[in-house]
Amino acid sequence: MRLRFTILFALFSFQSLLGQETFPVNGVAQNFEPIHAFINAHIILSPTAEINKGILLIQGDKIIRIDSNMNIPNDAIIHDLAGDFIYPSFIDLYTDYGLLKAKKGKRNYRPQYESTKAGAYHWNQAIHPEIEASTVFSADKKTASTYLKNGFGTVLSHVQDGVLRGTGCLVLLSEKSEQENIIKPKAASYFSFSKGVSSQKNPSSLMGSIALMRQTFLDTEWYASQDNQTNLSYAAFNNQRRLPHIFTTNDALDYSRIYKIADEFEIDFIIKGNGKEYSRIDEVADTEFPVIIPLNFPNAYDISNPETAQWISLSKLKDWETAPYNPAILANHEIEFCITSSGLDKKSNFISNLRLAIKKGLPKQAALAALTTTPAALIEMDDKIGSIETGKLANFFIASKDIFENGEIYENWTAGEQHIINKKQNIDIRGYYTLNADEFSNKLISIKGSKDKPKAIIFGLDSLVLLTKLDGNNVNISNANGTFRSAAKFDKERISGRYQDSIGLYHSFSMLRDSLFNEDKKVFILEIDSVIPSVWFPNKAHGFISLPQAENIIFRNATVWTNEQVGVLKNTDVAIKEGKIIAIGKKLDELVVFPETVKITQINATRKHLTCGIIDEHSHIAISRGVNEGSQAVSAEVRIGDVINPNDHNIYRQLSGGTVASQLLHGSANPIGGQAAMIKLRWGSSAEQMKVANADGFIKFALGENVKQSNWGNFERIRFPQTRMGVEQVFYDAFYRANAYQKAWQNFNDLSTKDKKNATPPREDLELNALVEILNSERFITCHSYMQSEINMLMHVGDSMGFTINTFTHILEGYKVAEKMKNHGAGGSTFSDWWAYKFEVNDAIPYNATLLNNAGVVTAINSDDAEMGRRLNQEAAKAVKYGGTSEEDAWKMVTLNPAKLLHIDDKMGSIKIGKDADIVLWTDNPLSVYAKVIQTYVDGKLLFDVEIDKQLRDRDGLERMRIIQKMSEDKNTGKKQKPQPITDKLYHCDTEYDE
Amino acid sequence: MMNKKYLPLLIALLITVGANAQRPTLFMGATAHLGNGEKIENAAISMLNGKIGMVADATRIRIDPTAFDTIYRVHGKHLYPGFIVPNTTLGITEIDQVRASHDYRETGAINPNVRTLIAYNTDSKIAKTVRSNGVLIAQVTPRGGMISGQSSVMHLDGWNWEDASLKSDDGIHLNWPSSFHQSGWWAEPGTINENEKYNESIAQLKIFFKKANSYANSSGLMDLQMESMKGLFNGSKTLYMHANNASDMLDAIAFTNDFEITKSVIVGAEDALKITDILKENNISLILNRVHRLPNSEDSPVDEPFTQATKLQEAGILFCLSYEGDMEAMGARNLPFSAGTAVAYGLDYEDAISAITLNTAKILGIDKYCGSIERGKDASFFISTGDALDMRTNNVEKAYIKGKAVDLNNHQKELFKKYKNR
Repeated sequence: MRLRFTILFALFSFQSLLGQETFPVNGVAQNFEPIHAFINAHIILSPTAEINKGILLIQGDKIIRIDSNMNIPNDAIIHDLAGDFIYPSFIDLYTDYGLLKAKKGKRNYRPQYESTKAGAYHWNQAIHPEIEASTVFSADKKTASTYLKNGFGTVLSHVQDGVLRGTGCLVLLSEKSEQENIIKPKAASYFSFSKGVSSQKNPSSLMGSIALMRQTFLDTEWYASQDNQTNLSYAAFNNQRRLPHIFTTNDALDYSRIYKIADEFEIDFIIKGNGKEYSRIDEVADTEFPVIIPLNFPNAYDISNPETAQWISLSKLKDWETAPYNPAILANHEIEFCITSSGLDKKSNFISNLRLAIKKGLPKQAALAALTTTPAALIEMDDKIGSIETGKLANFFIASKDIFENGEIYENWTAGEQHIINKKQNIDIRGYYTLNADEFSNKLISIKGSKDKPKAIIFGLDSLVLLTKLDGNNVNISNANGTFRSAAKFDKERISGRYQDSIGLYHSFSMLRDSLFNEDKKVFILEIDSVIPSVWFPNKAHGFISLPQAENIIFRNATVWTNEQVGVLKNTDVAIKEGKIIAIGKKLDELVVFPETVKITQINATRKHLTCGIIDEHSHIAISRGVNEGSQAVSAEVRIGDVINPNDHNIYRQLSGGTVASQLLHGSANPIGGQAAMIKLRWGSSAEQMKVANADGFIKFALGENVKQSNWGNFERIRFPQTRMGVEQVFYDAFYRANAYQKAWQNFNDLSTKDKKNATPPREDLELNALVEILNSERFITCHSYMQSEINMLMHVGDSMGFTINTFTHILEGYKVAEKMKNHGAGGSTFSDWWAYKFEVNDAIPYNATLLNNAGVVTAINSDDAEMGRRLNQEAAKAVKYGGTSEEDAWKMVTLNPAKLLHIDDKMGSIKIGKDADIVLWTDNPLSVYAKVIQTYVDGKLLFDVEIDKQLRDRDGLERMRIIQKMSEDKNTGKKQKPQPITDKLYHCDTEYDE
Repeated sequence: MMNKKYLPLLIALLITVGANAQRPTLFMGATAHLGNGEKIENAAISMLNGKIGMVADATRIRIDPTAFDTIYRVHGKHLYPGFIVPNTTLGITEIDQVRASHDYRETGAINPNVRTLIAYNTDSKIAKTVRSNGVLIAQVTPRGGMISGQSSVMHLDGWNWEDASLKSDDGIHLNWPSSFHQSGWWAEPGTINENEKYNESIAQLKIFFKKANSYANSSGLMDLQMESMKGLFNGSKTLYMHANNASDMLDAIAFTNDFEITKSVIVGAEDALKITDILKENNISLILNRVHRLPNSEDSPVDEPFTQATKLQEAGILFCLSYEGDMEAMGARNLPFSAGTAVAYGLDYEDAISAITLNTAKILGIDKYCGSIERGKDASFFISTGDALDMRTNNVEKAYIKGKAVDLNNHQKELFKKYKNR
């Protein structure tokens, strides 16, 4: 057994030495592979081991021995490194080295709904796991040299395009053939949320990409269980399941999005980060995924003009300051991470940024691990690369000093192949010389400067600087007027050679070094500044330094709008504890209300009005990268809940207007839109924390001009439906399909365990899942609607297919069909007074809310607008003005009624014992234009306070000036960024495109 | 000077009028907000022949009921000068998404000669919903290009544009080139970049204005564009410069100084608070952006748009409120409430009234006729049963334009009636 193993091993190594044998050779074979011995080296073997003065032996492409002391083979070629450092060469897992960039197709003004890719591939052009980087890899010396300069020896390369991107190949940066350079053809598979160059319409949003990916994962599982179809994309993906999966992000919020997918499909990802991990570090850590981070630290901004400097947001300033700490922060949180050189404007900044990260507290060991052992292990190549060990590839570089401080890379060896990066100057010619020649005698010359760039100066009164060039021991010295131009060699304390004078005659000369040059050695001192700037929640203006906690409060003597039977109570106290309302009454006895000893805050609310928080039934704030997936008539599979953006400053703005909760809706670009998310405006929290726990699921439907693309210009005339007639058919078609789908599953689930094994399960369809949920009253509809004809139509569809429309939103002609809505069981959530913006809102009237309410329809008033969402109290008041609705009823239209429509009225929407302490304190009757918010609480946490807001403004101002000051002092010579004002992306129902 | 031979005739005419004269109409007891910053709690206000007559404190005078044709007792109610919405497309657009209804943007960059009033739709369904909230006058303004055209101040009632016009062609609207511009399109706003063509655009404007100035002083062939610009140089027209950025505003001010344009107004003025000293020095008045807007940037204080008016008032700048922006025509009926919001954030109530009445009239150059409750001015005012700046109480009961009662019914009220009593 042992013998066989040895033989096998021998065979293996023999083969590797003679790998080139598969090629015919032009000329004679070059079989001899000498041993190289690197001696007197400071060898960093790995992040945890080093040899102070050691010897490294390599032969062919392998390391054959490392030790501090050994007998060097006689035939070895000796490289005396004289104290230089050897490091294992770096590994970059995120590159497109040797690959052509994916090209965008010709722009077509007409939308492309179907794939134009020929072959049995996925229906969506953004899904192409079948692309294998190794099949299109072509070594590229020029690009390779940029990596080699930065110390890299191997890179993992993939085509950076699409959602399912395909596989990457691990390649050596040597000048050998592709056959030899590709050391692992399929080393990882790649994923992203960006559709890339695909000209196909779908996906047009982030949530669309997520849904597309989830459906694809389901489909690949299903594909494996059937044999009716051939799909090369699915087959390719199924073959990649064992590979490491690398998922690239656009921002720090993507971590939790990826985590959800990973959790659902039980995939472990490696996440390619974006450099802003610090802004959501806990979420990054919670995924427990390894991370690949770029060193893309932002350049300083040009702040010389105070006016344009004003355009740089505080969040950008904070990013500039904090980004270099990102690697250190990851290390502090014990997150496993690699470093990539991608994402840099200039690859030449890599080493300097790496050093900056060290200065900002990244331990050198962690940095080295992030560039060597960690990436090697992640792609299961740690038996070949990542450290200097016997048997591994001879991948290492030689540097003058510590690479993380000020070492300069001399040579980078890949698989035993030498690449000179910077020529090492071994000879130091500097010193004080006496020159003698035909024309001169005892002329004193000094040679100073640096070792590799010395400078000769004629000593004495003239102190002329001579042009000095040095290459090895070849020295050229010449003077400025051309009367002395010499070629000489340095040898044994003497520079001797010939010079040509002004008339062309040659003369011999010789300079003898009298004494050595004593350099004032600048000692490099590594100054570590590990005081990490404070990261706020969220990390921008108005962000919290620490998250507010639920308080125990008694509000005294307020006018309380209860929204309950008792109506508006004057001179009443309200007590809250642990996020809930616990008592309401006159002159509450705090000992009774809080029998235990806790810290209680008493708030004098005399002459103030206390209400529950406003709930916005229809909002599009706090959404990342696209509110519509309008690329299909039915997109029930997409979920706003996947793309919540907790950093949107409109959250804070709306808190300042008393809004505490919002239903984030998909847009209205298609008849069946996406699934909604119900959030509380928990400023500072994460996307997941913002969601209202256990809230019923909702979905957006839409009717009318938006879904039939009436106002989208002349090119968008292809997608079905283009008329209200077609819209009806889309609904019937969808629900008949859903019915059939549900039956298919029922039939399958009814099979015995044994029969199930033999049957092919139906293909799970996320779109139809959502529709089935509607049929089963597990998901509820809120439908964008205007004209009575279509409202009527959808109720007919619902009645005949067995579901109820929970809410008609906008519902501007609701007053014409209020009776029918009441009978159907639908509620209405409308605008107070919008009209005339489209043809279909010609008959929209501001009396609508009142008429609906009077008819017994649960009626809400919503915003659909980031600006209006912060003064919905004013909009509610319009129901009083126009229709004569009572003030209490009007107030319910922005509180209790939306809570009912959203099925959260058991927790929210009124001031009632046991309900959530979502409380707003107003200066005045909340329906008055003069009412201002004093405080807004969400779950008993004070998230807006007019006084605290003032402090935050001051703090933000000081923080801004502090960072601008720091930026002015920044010595970094990198190109300054131009300040640019930021425009908000504000979504409305009909905002179509995003990605 | 009047020729003396007509004098007897004139006297005779006056006597005739006196004899057959209609007696004035009297409004008794309202809280009158005069528009000039003053308020009379219990006012007696009369109108005759389309003009305001007496404006008095009812507690201080004796009223002879026989002297009036009609007396409206409006105690406890509020009387306001007709609110004025400046800088609006009201009347020249009807439905935002229906192109056929748009008459506010001519093609091309330079159109000083085009005039909004001739496209003004006196039967706009939208205008009727606007006036029933107390907004009775509008400066109908063109949009787009560098020089959009000429606005006219219109009454929101009339048989045709001629009799609806309060001031025809009151000024020329110049969209001051922005020193930065945004890439992308409305649904996909990209980054904002510095406008590299800024200086070029300004140079182009200068050449155009120089030419116009020269034309104004010469007698060449008729040139419609040049002809329309004349008024800027003789003070008969106002130059409305739409600019928001501080540096753009400063350049715009310097520009008008260079050309000695006596009447100029900045429209938009987002950054006005940064340059109040210069605005004052140059006596520049402002038509502000909609109060109900989002703060300028993510760093801005959340109430920045709400407090701007208060701070400008404190700085002593003459300004008025507008409603430019998304859905501005139908939204014009909310102008009073935007003034209300400014009050909530510190503006004195009567100053807020001025910001949508007399200030606006002064800025548009129509204060001789309207903008305040004052003897001799047009009887364009309204009565609301409650505070008209608060949507909770705004309820316009009567409105008059030049003494003529305005029909406060509208399409929406009709539908309300129809479906309420179904």
